[in-house]
Amino acid sequence: MKIEGTETLHAPRDRVWALLDDPQALASCTPGMQELRPTGPDEFEAVLSIGIAAVRGTYKGKLRITERTPPERYAVQVEGSSGAGFVRAVGVLELEDQGAQTGVRWSGEVQVGGALTLGSRMIPGIARMLAGQFFQCLDRKLQEGSA
Amino acid sequence: MKPPVFDYQDPASVEEALELLARHGAAAKVLAGGQSLMPLLNLRLARPEVVVDINRIDALDYLTEESGWLRVGARVRQRRLEREAEVRRMVPLLTEAVRFVGHPQIRNRGTVCGSLAHADPAAELPAVAVAVGARLVARSRSGVREIPAEEFFTGPLTTALRPDELLAEARFPCTGPDWGWAFLEVSNRHGDYALCAVAAGVRAGDGRIQDARLAYAGAGPVPVRLREAEAALVEHSDLEEGIRAASAEARRVLQPDGDLHASSEFRRHLAAVLTARTVRLAWTRARTRSGGAHA
Repeated sequence: MKIEGTETLHAPRDRVWALLDDPQALASCTPGMQELRPTGPDEFEAVLSIGIAAVRGTYKGKLRITERTPPERYAVQVEGSSGAGFVRAVGVLELEDQGAQTGVRWSGEVQVGGALTLGSRMIPGIARMLAGQFFQCLDRKLQEGSA
Repeated sequence: MKPPVFDYQDPASVEEALELLARHGAAAKVLAGGQSLMPLLNLRLARPEVVVDINRIDALDYLTEESGWLRVGARVRQRRLEREAEVRRMVPLLTEAVRFVGHPQIRNRGTVCGSLAHADPAAELPAVAVAVGARLVARSRSGVREIPAEEFFTGPLTTALRPDELLAEARFPCTGPDWGWAFLEVSNRHGDYALCAVAAGVRAGDGRIQDARLAYAGAGPVPVRLREAEAALVEHSDLEEGIRAASAEARRVLQPDGDLHASSEFRRHLAAVLTARTVRLAWTRARTRSGGAHA
């Protein structure tokens, strides 16, 4: 299923790019990210603990940066699995220069399997909620950095 | 299918339950009717360390009226809403909506507060709570707070409840005398989660709609109240024109996700059609009530 959204980050585009290009900053803003370990150029092993109410799972998987066009476009591929099933996703971020601000257009294609498919009607809503938390965290970091 | 291993606690008092929630926080999960939690456990989608069963707490089994509010304790089964005539008199929308919740077997066990705390975006009772302006009473060891329904639902299966809080009671305001209410939904089979559901209330006076409430389930990540559509109903002196404007507004504003069962466009279409049907029904009921007769 496909999900997309737009956000505004309150910092110039080159600063947003620098933050997105820093795996540790990304990891600290990704909801539930417990571990992000580089395994090669642009490849990581990740452990995520994602919980929506009682439905909580620890996902182990791989994260790969598949495209990087500074300072405007960034694409990642994620796959992970837990006892409850698997998740595969590709995401694209596009940054638009708006002077002191940066417009972010994001889209993702998410696939789930196993018992998780039972909740599939809620996955777009949940993904959007998690994406919102991710961008809020980035924005906070950007504003702290400029203060 | 069997659940993963968990520690089972069945406190006999609210205080003990709150103590357990304070101690275990997010690792604990409250079990009331179990109609959502048990399947999640059996599928191993939920893996709480501790299950706090509140079924022994008799103090939470009350359904009473107090100063214009219907108070529903955390152990009240959904079935009581349809069986007690007093509920229809006080909050008719609850009686209307509850028959769409699962099946009788589910409503015999499932609780009102459990459905609210589970916060499924397509569930009926959360939409009712938002439509009538219910208040949710959250208790923890550190105190009590009342959360307006519109602030309670924050995402799919996500509420403003903190991990140490118990949804101890739901308070629904009793309907005013000139109000009529209606609840309709479309689902693949009766008892399934709604593809889209609409809760409507209108206050009749001087031959037109004076005030309106519209809330939608299955039309977004949380139950939504549409003030723009409500305003459209009040602004137009002609009922059908108002309904057309409100339906158009619902179609324009709502952004339901599409899935295997229904596309986003189909859900928006249902929202518009059900807006018209529920408002007409609510209007008929409001006029009957304000005319002195009882429906």
